[in-house]
Amino acid sequence: MQHQGKLGRISAHALLAAAALIMAFPFYWMATSALKTNDEIWRFPPTLWPQSPLWSNFADAWNAAPFARYMLNSIVVAGVIVVLQIINSGMMAYALTHMAFRLKGALTSLILVGYMIPVTAVYLPGYIVLSRLGLLDSYGGLILSNCVSIFSIFLIRQAFLQVSHELVEAGQIDGASHFRILWTILFPLARSSFAVLALITFIEQYNNYFWPMLITKNPDLQLVSAGLRSFFVEGGAYGLKWPLIMAASAFTIVPLLALFLLTQKTIMQSVNLSAGASKG
Amino acid sequence: MKLSRLIGDLKALLFTLPAMIPLTLFWFIPLGYVIYLSFMEWDFMSPDKTFVGLDNYRYLLDNPDFYDSLRVTLLFCAGSVLPIMAVGLALAALLSRKRRGGAVYRTLIFSPWVTPTVAVSIVWSWIYEPEVGLANTLLRLFGLEGVRWLEDPNWALIGILLVTIWKSAGWSMIFYLVAIGNVPPDYLEAAELDGANGWRKFRRVTLPLISPTTFFLFVVLTISALQAYDQINVLTQGGPAGSTRTILYFYYLSAFDSYQIGEASSVAILLIAGCVLLSLLSFWIGRRTVHYA
Repeated sequence: MQHQGKLGRISAHALLAAAALIMAFPFYWMATSALKTNDEIWRFPPTLWPQSPLWSNFADAWNAAPFARYMLNSIVVAGVIVVLQIINSGMMAYALTHMAFRLKGALTSLILVGYMIPVTAVYLPGYIVLSRLGLLDSYGGLILSNCVSIFSIFLIRQAFLQVSHELVEAGQIDGASHFRILWTILFPLARSSFAVLALITFIEQYNNYFWPMLITKNPDLQLVSAGLRSFFVEGGAYGLKWPLIMAASAFTIVPLLALFLLTQKTIMQSVNLSAGASKG
Repeated sequence: MKLSRLIGDLKALLFTLPAMIPLTLFWFIPLGYVIYLSFMEWDFMSPDKTFVGLDNYRYLLDNPDFYDSLRVTLLFCAGSVLPIMAVGLALAALLSRKRRGGAVYRTLIFSPWVTPTVAVSIVWSWIYEPEVGLANTLLRLFGLEGVRWLEDPNWALIGILLVTIWKSAGWSMIFYLVAIGNVPPDYLEAAELDGANGWRKFRRVTLPLISPTTFFLFVVLTISALQAYDQINVLTQGGPAGSTRTILYFYYLSAFDSYQIGEASSVAILLIAGCVLLSLLSFWIGRRTVHYA
């Protein structure tokens, strides 16, 4: 591996640069298209950079649909789900790793069964359950139906398995309750796994589309993906106002790219952890 | 003694409740319910369900649309999973060596994965615009004819596959980067002493050692390909002429479009069966290859 010829080095860089360009170019294309006038965007051949960037497209798109509301919906719903998943995954993982009780084996296999079920396949019966509970078209439904993730449970369980049981016992001798031991001893020790859980869950829920779209018809409750899609389809936007559509896509995508740039270490670390977690 | 054990049991069960209640409501009850519904005839509106035995499955197996969607699903799985793995592996192999700008390449290549599928699919539908879109502009640059990407049944699935590969290749690259980083250097040095060149070392030493990752990616990517929805919904809605209607999309349409709850449920059961089989296979192989990890 040590010696690579000059030619090899240059061709490797060329390949990597080409790949990076292909991956990033759609984002560049989105941004420049968002700045073009309706005339310029239909010109052939397309221009690489708009002749006179029309920054007002962003404001126009922002005001053309309740995007602030959509984003707030997404952020709040995803945020609450993250908190709930931290709590219930932490408690569940603690019980599975550091408490002895009957039914533990049965519970573990039940969760394993759940892990194998493709969630999209139970959207139909899940929809019916949610409607029986009277939770269709509500924040409660959006949050409750997503507030548990088997992947998150596995992730935290994996982290708690690394913690020596003696630490837990020492806490018990000091008279601390299980609840206290979980949140004051184990939680700090497993904080990197919890950070991964929080980030991955937030991104997943912020981007979530299929299920939220099924269970909400009220436009006020739409998450950002569903809102963007309605903007794309309705409002005479289709095929006509591409600059506005690209502007709207941009302010949906950019916050996530920014979040990724700030936290990329944790996000990429999640790959390690998720490979471990899914080995069970 | 007995009492204290009982109390211990109760305390532990209390700890599992915050997860078990939603899991029961939104996973286990729906799972039982969909099995039950697959033996019923029901149109969602009427109060009565009729027991029809295996008829839903029989109709399904007589339905040519089902076989069409099965074919599309196989094409979609093969056409997305294999390229995602191959591109990810190739990029990881190039990036595994320390080189200037490596971190920048990695960040750019991974970035599509974090973005919302709906939003980037909308961007791609602009790229696929037949008259002035980027895709056809590039084709014309090379002297080729433009294509009606999303309206031509021969091209629509390819259009969706490109978006899918673009979005996930960086993700599989990260897995491969970790796996290649874990290959013990002495193995490679030993191969070098035996006179193996770069490519030979990669094929004979690295590739076999990272095979658990390859297998893991294959299973996870196939399961997620079976569940792909967002990009299909934005770009083609299963069309044109059913050329992008996967099994999942077929299920969704028969449930929420034509309200054939029984038939839809039988599709769901087949989908579940496929994913369970894949997962069991991965557990089984995972157990056999533990010594690699």
